[in-house]
Amino acid sequence: MGIWQGSGRRYLLFFLLILTTLFVGNSFAASSELVINVGMKDEPKTLNPFKASDSWSLKVVHRFYEPLYTREPKTHKIIPWLAEGYPEYDEATNTAIVRLKRTKWEDGSPLTAHDVVFTGRIIREFRVPRYSYAWRFVKEIEALDDYRVKFVLERPMAIFMPRTLMTFFVQKKKWEPVVAEARKAENPLKHLLAHEVTKPVSCGAFKFVKWARGAYVRIERNENFFATGMEIGGRKVGPSIDGILFKFYGSMDSAILALKKGDIDYYWSSIQAGYLKDLEADKRIRVFKNQKSGVYYLAFNVRKPPFSDKVFRQALAYLIDKDFIVTRVLQNEAQRMDNIIPPGNQFWHNPNTLKFGKGMTRQERVKKAYEILTASGYTWGKPPIDAKGNVVRGEGLKMPDGQKVPSFDILTPPADYDPHRAMAGMLIHQWLLQAGIPACCKPSSFGSITQQVNVRRDFDAFILGWGNLAIDPDYLRTFFHSKEDRPNGRNPMGYRNEWFDKVSDESAAAMDEEKRRKLILEMEKFIIEEAPYIPLYVPYEIEAARIDRFVGWNEDLNGIGNHWSLLFIKPAR
Amino acid sequence: MHVGRFVLIRATQIVVTFFIILTLLFILFRVAPGDPASMVVDPQMTPEDVEAIRTLFGLDKPLYHQYFCYLKNFFQGEFGSSFYYGKPVINIIGEKLPNTILLFTTSIILSALAGISWGKVIAWKRGSFLDSSVTMVGLVSHTLFLPWIALLMVWVFAYRMNWFPLTGMVTPELWLNPETGILRKALDVIHHMVLPLSVLFTIHFGGFMLIMRSSMLETLKEDYIVTARAKGLTEREIRERHAAKNAALPVVTSVGLSLAFSINGGAITETIFSWPGIGRELVFAVSNSDYPLAQIAFLLIAGLVLVANLVVDILYAYLDPRIKY
Repeated sequence: MGIWQGSGRRYLLFFLLILTTLFVGNSFAASSELVINVGMKDEPKTLNPFKASDSWSLKVVHRFYEPLYTREPKTHKIIPWLAEGYPEYDEATNTAIVRLKRTKWEDGSPLTAHDVVFTGRIIREFRVPRYSYAWRFVKEIEALDDYRVKFVLERPMAIFMPRTLMTFFVQKKKWEPVVAEARKAENPLKHLLAHEVTKPVSCGAFKFVKWARGAYVRIERNENFFATGMEIGGRKVGPSIDGILFKFYGSMDSAILALKKGDIDYYWSSIQAGYLKDLEADKRIRVFKNQKSGVYYLAFNVRKPPFSDKVFRQALAYLIDKDFIVTRVLQNEAQRMDNIIPPGNQFWHNPNTLKFGKGMTRQERVKKAYEILTASGYTWGKPPIDAKGNVVRGEGLKMPDGQKVPSFDILTPPADYDPHRAMAGMLIHQWLLQAGIPACCKPSSFGSITQQVNVRRDFDAFILGWGNLAIDPDYLRTFFHSKEDRPNGRNPMGYRNEWFDKVSDESAAAMDEEKRRKLILEMEKFIIEEAPYIPLYVPYEIEAARIDRFVGWNEDLNGIGNHWSLLFIKPAR
Repeated sequence: MHVGRFVLIRATQIVVTFFIILTLLFILFRVAPGDPASMVVDPQMTPEDVEAIRTLFGLDKPLYHQYFCYLKNFFQGEFGSSFYYGKPVINIIGEKLPNTILLFTTSIILSALAGISWGKVIAWKRGSFLDSSVTMVGLVSHTLFLPWIALLMVWVFAYRMNWFPLTGMVTPELWLNPETGILRKALDVIHHMVLPLSVLFTIHFGGFMLIMRSSMLETLKEDYIVTARAKGLTEREIRERHAAKNAALPVVTSVGLSLAFSINGGAITETIFSWPGIGRELVFAVSNSDYPLAQIAFLLIAGLVLVANLVVDILYAYLDPRIKY
């Protein structure tokens, strides 16, 4: 009684307030604009294009800036974008001249060669980490006139087209004062990256409207976008929408409910397989499953025995049942990998690499590993194949020099970070033990693995992955080149091979794409046989979008969340 | 001891404790495995690029040098810039903290008020049906699994019934409309707050109520309650003036500390409801080794908890005249 008598009025007021919000909160006039609501896991961290490195920032920032060249949506062939035609390249002088289309920034001012030169010089002068590698070999860059840029390269570099000329460009007028300030600062790069961009000037398909921190980012169609109306890959370039409203959902559960409720039209993130059944049952939603440009792999410290022995690495490759991992652990939501370059990257992928153990039973795998190890001089205290040819649990494996193979750790991310890799590690551990190879799966934090592998180089084997590899395959060179065998280099395995170094250097300098392709295919075949990496699988990119609102998504490597989709989509009705 | 002297001694202790926390935080983040530079690495970056990032973050210097810079900067009010945002951490905290305070502090205050009110009433009616049923409700509420109740409420009230927004703090379409007035915007925020606030209220209310109830039961056995009855005071006067005021002491401690901790937000609540607060930011900072942001956020929490302890001690003296310092 007392409660209701003493505080009754307060409780009543409180409930009235809630009721008011209930009625008022759900009622607001919907805008007549055709805006797509895109859900993201987090908000951008910055709109500074030089600083942006996280996927959320890039998803927004990439809407404002365009490169000179881009990739055609179907074939991934490089096509002129802001540029007019392909570069005129002079092999004798390593000089390339690029002509620009007559395009405009959102404020109506022309996008000229001076903007391109300015951006290139900033990246070079400040050594902007994310882009520096693609500009390091550019000796000079100058504007021949308002619409012609001359690049002088130190040496021929294959990544000039797919990397250097695919860099975004900023407006000189807007950034000149920022750069001038940065030059005066104690740490110019820090100053440049710390610059807070509150209103980016766009030459892209969309322009910035508002960013309410933690709540939303709103962008709208840029009427000055040069490509509107062009035909690319048989489809007309838009955008056919008035704008994009980015909303942020901390948990996938909330995002999925938002998609089903219609609060968002597309969730720009991979969806876990557990949600598929629910989403597929909803006719307003379409689930897209596409190949991903990535690779999850087991790698070894090839500096020390027994991993320094190619035969030992190959024996391990035979023992690993990738199909089992894909079907049982990943529930068929992944592809088996027998290459570093994923199959979705059709132009650069070599389908004819060695497929260790494909189609073999467990017994056949153990027998094959036993055969090649025995032929190479390895012995067992108790071999995994008994006198009758049956597979038994092996013990006491010794190297050809008679030394016992020491017990080794396979570092994997923990199950709370990536249950698939953790489970794959445990399975591999069991398969190796069965063959008498003393492996031990050791789940460790991601930070701990990178520290141990990339910095200290004190490890035996690890399972990690690259989730977003570029279409250009230059990473194949950097992952296995002996020059990268140094702290923080891309070759923490310590793999060294003269032939590979030579061919990969040739590929890096091949300006002719066909010649480069031949070299890359050879490198793929070679490195798979050498097995410093054993590629395991690559998960599919699973996404979902409301097809009752928008249609025309561009399905590509890495899914529908791409530049072209936002230029092609149209209202469903 | 005079209160002024007590406050001075406690303030000194707070400064020393704060300094220890300052140092511990620095050490803990550096000994934790993981390199902040490795979190922004691209497969194409060269070791020189990675080193440039380390230099940019100030991680290329020896640890002792980093520590003295950290102390010097801290005492000069320079709290550093986030590795990820690239802007001063104080600005990031300034953007997110008000959102956290709005949600979490409101929830603590509301649940404390309700917990105290119900706690004293059920203790007064101990052994009754009201007492057992409300105590049961309190126990259930106190032990509920937050993610479960939060998702359940989202599913029922936001998705199925469509009474409340699923997540977030504002309706973007409404806030982007230049014709929307301030009152309408305020109602929109309250509308978004209802679900997360209800979840937090449900979780906290039971605890406060149970503390109040048990404290009140102890107080009701005191001689001065018998004296109050003998003096012929009304039941309401005995309950409110004599029993509840004294029984409130442990609740004050609990509420004080909860208020201080509330600025830490709740990573789970903020994640499920996509509430743009400091809790999610803290988790992001720790998992991505964003040392400057994580350090300052933790220091802020530590500082507030230390100050809250002092305030609670002073409040004790005010609430209970028998306590002398």
